[in-house]
Amino acid sequence: MTQAEQSCALDALCSAAQLMLENGAETYRVEETARRMATGFCLTGVSVAALPTLIFVEAEGKTRILRISRRGTNMTRIERTNDISRRVERGEMTAQEAGCALRQIAAAPGAPQRTMLLAYAVTSASFSLLFGGGPGAFAVAFLIGLAVQAVQPLFARVEMGVLLGNFAGGFITAVLAQALAARLPYGDVNAVIAGGIMPLLSGLLMTTAMRDTMYGDLISGVTRAVEALLLAVAVALGVYVGLTAVSMMGGVLL
Amino acid sequence: MHELLVGAAGAFGGTIGLACLLNAPRRTLLPSSLIGVLGYVLYLLLSLAAGQSMIFSYFLSTVVIAVICEIAARVMRTPTTIFLLSALVPLVPGYSFYRAMLALVEDQGAAAAASGLQAVQIVGAIAVGAAVTTVVFRALGMRWGEQHAARGR
Repeated sequence: MTQAEQSCALDALCSAAQLMLENGAETYRVEETARRMATGFCLTGVSVAALPTLIFVEAEGKTRILRISRRGTNMTRIERTNDISRRVERGEMTAQEAGCALRQIAAAPGAPQRTMLLAYAVTSASFSLLFGGGPGAFAVAFLIGLAVQAVQPLFARVEMGVLLGNFAGGFITAVLAQALAARLPYGDVNAVIAGGIMPLLSGLLMTTAMRDTMYGDLISGVTRAVEALLLAVAVALGVYVGLTAVSMMGGVLL
Repeated sequence: MHELLVGAAGAFGGTIGLACLLNAPRRTLLPSSLIGVLGYVLYLLLSLAAGQSMIFSYFLSTVVIAVICEIAARVMRTPTTIFLLSALVPLVPGYSFYRAMLALVEDQGAAAAASGLQAVQIVGAIAVGAAVTTVVFRALGMRWGEQHAARGR
């Protein structure tokens, strides 16, 4: 293999690992993907290490270090990258083809905002139903879900955007649910607020953190658990401030 | 019966909505929400039968959900996380979490601590349940992983 080919293969391998990590795959899966592709490209002297914010790859005496700054969850990208790494391993794809396919995955936009609006609204409305809210609570939670998801793009490009987004989500849910209840008695306020914050609390499952820990990636596991707790605290703070604000100024404003 | 049906409907909508929010591949949407419904109904039945031991109900339903997710992931040749993240969501203790906040605002420290502790216990039960399943499947996978290495995980 020429130097240029090795470089090309290493680049493809790095972008696959980066795509996996940026979109919420577990650390062992990121490393496994890189190793699998290295096997497919017949690279030797391969060593890979990943942390939630960094990837180190060494192969054929070349070293790459990648800093991961933007992280989210996009399952479709994880699935497609996983698929490509398997095809590379089976020798069905050259480094150039893989690089090209990975660039396509990275460039493909996520679901459009109107899908996200509907998804968020359906999620919060369904969970308010699950928490014992009636049809009135279902409708109100649906509307509040639309409002919360509508403001999320504002935080997408901001520093600490996810934390702020979660805070705003908790705040908006608590304020709107109580303000609407003051005007028209639609039913169970508690079910609406608890259902409304459920989509933001899904990180509390900490499945990725637990799996990382179990696979021996202790640093990643602990980091991700702390991140999940921090995000939940942001929601809690938002709800707290929202509830307090309404109980303090409710009489004046409503 | 009514409670079960409403719970199942809520769990279905919640799981499928969350799967969309996480950009799950379209072909996994329906399987993961069905697993979510199954797990939540199992939790409801267990909590009715077990009465006091709420934590055990959460633990056991998490294990069942995680096992089905691992199998579904192998059948559909796709990473397990895709199913697991959305299917477990109906078990997230959003209500206890919110009650803790409400009690804090109303200055009822003891009630806040009780609800908060309950939420932490549930989160712990889910985390341990998912972890146990992962370990078992990892151990099993090591054995027949060799000949199935080319297939999806």
